[in-house]
Formats: sequence, C-alpha cells, structure tokens
Amino acid sequence: MLEVKNLMVFFENALALNDLSLDVYRGEIVSALGSNSAGKTTLMNTISGLIIDMKVKEERKGGERITIMGEVRFEGEEILSAKPSLRIRKGIALSRERHPIFPDSDIEENLRISTYLRRDREINKTYDFVYDIFPPLKALKKRRAGFCSGGEQQMLSIGMALMTKPKLLLLDEPLLGLSPAMQNSLIQAIKQIHREGITVLVAEQFARPLLPIVDRGYIIENGMLTLQGTGQELRENPEVRSSFMGV
Amino acid sequence: MEILIYGITNSVTLALMAIGFSLTFGISGVPNFAHGAFYLLGGILTWIFINQLGIPYLFSAILSVIIVGLLGFGLYWGLMLRLRGLVVNEVIATLAAAIVIIEVLRYLGFSGFTYVLPEFIKGSVNIGKAWLDYQRIFLVGIGVGLIIFLYIFTHRTRVGLSFRAIAQNERTAISLGIDSDWTAALSMAFGSALAVVAGLAILPLGSIDTEVGYDILIYALAVGIVGGLESVPGIVLASFILGFCQILVATFFKAQWLTVVTLGAIVLILAVKPSGIFGKYKELEERV
Repeated sequence: MLEVKNLMVFFENALALNDLSLDVYRGEIVSALGSNSAGKTTLMNTISGLIIDMKVKEERKGGERITIMGEVRFEGEEILSAKPSLRIRKGIALSRERHPIFPDSDIEENLRISTYLRRDREINKTYDFVYDIFPPLKALKKRRAGFCSGGEQQMLSIGMALMTKPKLLLLDEPLLGLSPAMQNSLIQAIKQIHREGITVLVAEQFARPLLPIVDRGYIIENGMLTLQGTGQELRENPEVRSSFMGV
Repeated sequence: MEILIYGITNSVTLALMAIGFSLTFGISGVPNFAHGAFYLLGGILTWIFINQLGIPYLFSAILSVIIVGLLGFGLYWGLMLRLRGLVVNEVIATLAAAIVIIEVLRYLGFSGFTYVLPEFIKGSVNIGKAWLDYQRIFLVGIGVGLIIFLYIFTHRTRVGLSFRAIAQNERTAISLGIDSDWTAALSMAFGSALAVVAGLAILPLGSIDTEVGYDILIYALAVGIVGGLESVPGIVLASFILGFCQILVATFFKAQWLTVVTLGAIVLILAVKPSGIFGKYKELEERV
C-alpha cells in the first residue's frame, strides 16, 4: 500500500533521513521505532506531505533549505511532492505528535473542522465511528478541547485524523506522556481501528505496549534503518528490549 | 442620557472600524495596515459609481465591497505570501500599500465637501435631549448585525471553521487538508471587505477626507490593542471602553483630548497587559 524507497531528507546540510526504505501492506499495523531525533517525525511528515508545506514556506521567505529525495508511493502512485490536501483525499491521515488540537474549539467542533475536505453524505456515520472507538469523547462533546486531559486530547487527535476517512492512518508518538492505563486503552483503540480495515503506521519510542499488536516493525537510528522484523522477532531481540522496552 | 446614547453609537462606530482588521490579524497573523486605505477607497469607489457612472446606491455599495475584497485578496497573494511570518516586513509592506492608495487618492483630489455619500435614510429623532440621526441608528444595527453574522459565519460554515482552524493551529489545520495560503488570503479579502462595509456605514455622516485613511488605522489599532487583537469579544469590549471614554472626555473636557484618550489607552494597555484584555497572543510570556 505504501512504499518508501531510498528516502533522503536534509534540513540545510543536516541529514534527517538517510536512504530509508520501508513498506506498509494493506491491513497491517506497522511500527517505526526510534529514540528522540531518530527521524520518526520527519518520516511521518514526509509521508503525510506536511514537509512539502514547510519546504514551500521556508523557500518563499528564504529560510531553511529542505531537500527531499527518493520515492514515496501510495497505492502505486508517486506522491513525494504532492500537497497534504491531495494525500488526504487519497486516504492518508496523520495524527501529529503531542496531540496539537484546536484548543479553543469544543471536541465536536474539532471533529467537524476535520471533515473540511469531505463532501459525501456519510459524515454522520464517521462521527459515530469515532465516538464508538473513543467513548470518552462522546461524553465530553461540548467541552473545550484545551481543557481536556492529555489522554483525551490524544484520542481527539486520532479521532480527527479518522474523520478524514483514511485508508492509511499515521500515528506520531500516540503514547507519549500518557499514563500506563491510558496507553493501554489507546492500544485497544488502535486494535479496533485496525479491525475496521484501516492500515496503521505508528512511530513510537516506547515499544512495550505496542509491539504485541504490530505485524512488523522497523528500527530507525539517526535517520537510518538498522533493524526490521515481525513484532515477535523484535520483542525477542535483546537490543530492542533494552532500548525500547525498558527491560 | 446623551452620554449613554452618544457613547453607544460612538462605541459601535469604533467596533465597526476595528472588526475587519482584527479578523485578518486573528486568522492569518498579518497586520493589515492598509485597512484604513481600503476603508477610504471603498467610500470613494462608491461615490464614483453613484455620481460618475450613475449606478444605484445599493449596487455601488455591493460592487465596491467586492472590488476592495478582491484587492485585499490580491494584496495577500501578490505581496504578503512571500513575507508571511516576517512581522516587520508585513507591517512595512501593508503600510506602504496604504500610503500608495491614500496618497494617489489625495493626488487625484478626492477630498472635500463634494465627496459625500448619501445617507440611507435622511432625518433624525430626539431621544431625551440627545439628537440622533437615522444613519447612526442604522450604523448601530449594522454593527450588531455584523458581529452576529461573524459569529455564525465562523462557527457554522465550512470556510468559517477553516478560518478558526488556521487561527488556532496552522500545522494541524494543514495536516487535515486545509490550505493555509488560500485561507489566509480569503481572510484578508474578508477583512478588507469589512473595512468597506464600515466605511459605507460611517462615511455618510460627514464628507470624505483622505485623512480618514490614516485615522481609521489608528482607531482600529487602538481598539485592537486594548481588546486583544484577535479576539472578537475583546474588540467589542474595547470599543465600548474607548467609545465611552471619548464621549466622557469630549463632554466634560475638550474635544481636542479625544486623540489623547485613544493613544493614551494604547500606551497604558501595552504597559499593563501587552496582549490586550482578551488577547492570548503573549499570554504565556506574561505569565512567566
């Protein structure tokens, strides 16, 4: 479904992603594990197209030079230089790290804004879908998003990505800063999203709750791929255990 | 009683002047210093349409709102796009555009008693000892209507919601498929159009003078800074505070002090709470 081939991303002369290749097949949960500054967020931004927007804006005002090389294919189509909105129409949605939602709008309005590109009549079904996966959101519908807890905001952030009706859901560090209980319920939610037929790519640095549910995983270090394998293989790898599972 | 009535009309006038400026700034972060110039240009365009081309008043008004709106869009797309995020450059560019527009209009001689826009309905009423013309009543109606319209627009429509999204978190909005350039340009078009609406409501009260291009900018800035530049409730509250202060000063002191009130308010609020009464712009820095 998604093929990334020999991807290189530079910020000025600093190499953020180095010759990175990975695949995500339809119906999988794939994880990209890496420590801070490994390049996870750059990878997510490159797949979702956010980096194209950053690049254009920096170019206009003569700021930081961002160079992107390689291939990103979605369902066989080359999308490396496509705008984010086009990629959302094709079915790629990103929930960004640290759950940046719209704090002054209530939860329902956050979800409504997320349907911006949709013209179909099934939007109401998607609301039910999101509320079904994250029941707390339904109870807090009218609460201003900025007053919600970190876990609730994270649910909302994923819910907003789901409102665009994606085929491929990108999650950038969904477990960051959450309590173990909240992490578990998010993992359950990711499983449920996956059962509904949405392919998921998760970037994380804490793998313990995540690895049991992933089909395959990639380890990224300093922008390079160092290891890949099935969830089982990664869980048994001693280096992965010490670096990403806190064992 | 007079103070109350004149205070209210004066406050709504100020709110009308500031609302477009605040809308553009709140959404795109661009301080549109050409706001006053657009206000003036709208008035003069309407005058030309009525008196030179013989178009009916209503159509002339709508036409000039649209033209200036497009001009605002063009100013953003042609000039501001490259300067986005460079605040000083944005101020210089829009101020330069303002000076060009105003000075060209001055050179062409659009100033003085010939250039008067017709009132919507002539006449006046007495309320107590206060003497109020119908135009001012209209003006309050337009102001209140506009604020209600803006509230509904930004909370119920697709474009309005995208405005709010970009204003709150641009990157998240982009990652949901909202085009930030298009939205920001639209907000500038909207702000400019609102400047003309304000002009059409206020200008019939006197004759058109090119100086108002600068005055309006000062008033819009004063109201915006006092209330918090991106906050609509802040704008309303600030225009009432400033509006009543002006009337009180004019009644009990001298009319010359009016400008001092406005500028003094800017200085005072910048010293006490730089983001304005309802502003969130620098809230964090202030708390630290």
